[in-house]
Amino acid sequence: MQWSIIWDYREAMMHGLWVTIHLSAVGIAGSTVLGVMVGGLSQASNYYVRRCVDTYIEVLRNIPLIVKLFFIYFAAGLSEMWAAYVALALHQSAYIAELVVAGLRAVPAGQTEAAYSLAHGRRQTFFYVTLPQALANVIPPLTTQYVQVIKNSSVVMLISVVELTGVTRQIENDTFRGFEAATSVTLVYLALVAVVVMAMNLLNRSLNRAGVRR
Amino acid sequence: MSDRINAVDIEARQERRWRLGLLIAFALLCYALRDLNWIVVWDSAPYLLRALGASWALAIAAILLGLLLAIPLAAARVYGSRWLSTLSAGFVELIRSTPELMLMFWIFFALPLVFGGAVSKWWSGTIALTLLAAAYLAEVVRAGLQSVPRGQKEAAMSTGLSASQAFFQILLPQAVKNMIPAFVGQIIMIFKTTSLVYVLGIVEFFRAIVNINSVEFASEPLYLAAAAVYFICCYALSLLIRRFDAKYVIYE
Repeated sequence: MQWSIIWDYREAMMHGLWVTIHLSAVGIAGSTVLGVMVGGLSQASNYYVRRCVDTYIEVLRNIPLIVKLFFIYFAAGLSEMWAAYVALALHQSAYIAELVVAGLRAVPAGQTEAAYSLAHGRRQTFFYVTLPQALANVIPPLTTQYVQVIKNSSVVMLISVVELTGVTRQIENDTFRGFEAATSVTLVYLALVAVVVMAMNLLNRSLNRAGVRR
Repeated sequence: MSDRINAVDIEARQERRWRLGLLIAFALLCYALRDLNWIVVWDSAPYLLRALGASWALAIAAILLGLLLAIPLAAARVYGSRWLSTLSAGFVELIRSTPELMLMFWIFFALPLVFGGAVSKWWSGTIALTLLAAAYLAEVVRAGLQSVPRGQKEAAMSTGLSASQAFFQILLPQAVKNMIPAFVGQIIMIFKTTSLVYVLGIVEFFRAIVNINSVEFASEPLYLAAAAVYFICCYALSLLIRRFDAKYVIYE
């Protein structure tokens, strides 16, 4: 064991951490926007639109991330960073859309009926009554999805983006100290995950206190 | 009454139209992609199928071995003493919060330190996938055990069964019934994750695709074929879940 090697690579590790945070942030934002849009369409009155939502979820969920990533990078020919953004956002958007669909379905019918009887239109009911309640209820499982984005960002190293996992390989290639590198990078990932989980718990608690959810 | 039948009719007609539309869209897609170099995929089909077999073998080994670990983990979590329960929860959370790729690297680097020599990549891959499967399946088994009413355990103990008899003969069989849909979901997850042991150099399905691509340079047809094969395998399994779900709802 030679843990000092980690100190020698501190700049590479910090850079890797930054890239991982950057990728995760874009992935989380992109997948949330896409997921909420697609999930929201599940409430459309048109049957074919609803079926398109099902198909979107099924197709993206049943193909591994690495296959999408390699297709987007090697076959569609995007740059590595853009391929990473698109793959991370598309992959998780399917899971988030599924959550949003379930969340929308869990809003009691009485809420919609009450909104209609207050002369809200379909669109108003959706944006002011149904969607906010569904999103507030979906926050605990959404945390798992965000953790998943952080974890998935490690796969991006395979298209030669040097994020935290890429740094591990670099240290292994230079010094054969793979064990020390893998251990410390894993700890960094765990810390990152802990931060996101705590932030989401705070959000959840403040929503509870604001009385958005009963 | 007639209104209701009418609604069902309309739904069925829309579903038929949707399926026809899907078929036409698929045919158009095939037509648009006809000029890709599909010969490459066809010629390497035997190699790819063998690799797909390797993927499934990895997934099945990981699930069976993982289940062996998952049952004691879940039992410790639900019925164990306070710190056994914390220990089990800690292990599960640790594995679930670590990126799959990092877990594979870590196992790959840690095993030689434990066994004092080189360990084959197949072993590293299987052990990493087993740990993953154990953590995720432990959650499934835990949810299953918690769905069995408390009274069952008390009743079993009061008829004079020992704790292990009560667990294996009364609680686990009832839990299994509730676990099946989530269990199949985890099989899908593990099967998709086998694509990541690619990094260890194990020739499973995805590695085989990449290997052929590095010789033939036909990334479009090869990665499309890979996506199609993974989709078919996973979608077939998810249809199976839906059947179990439907049955379960009917019988409940």
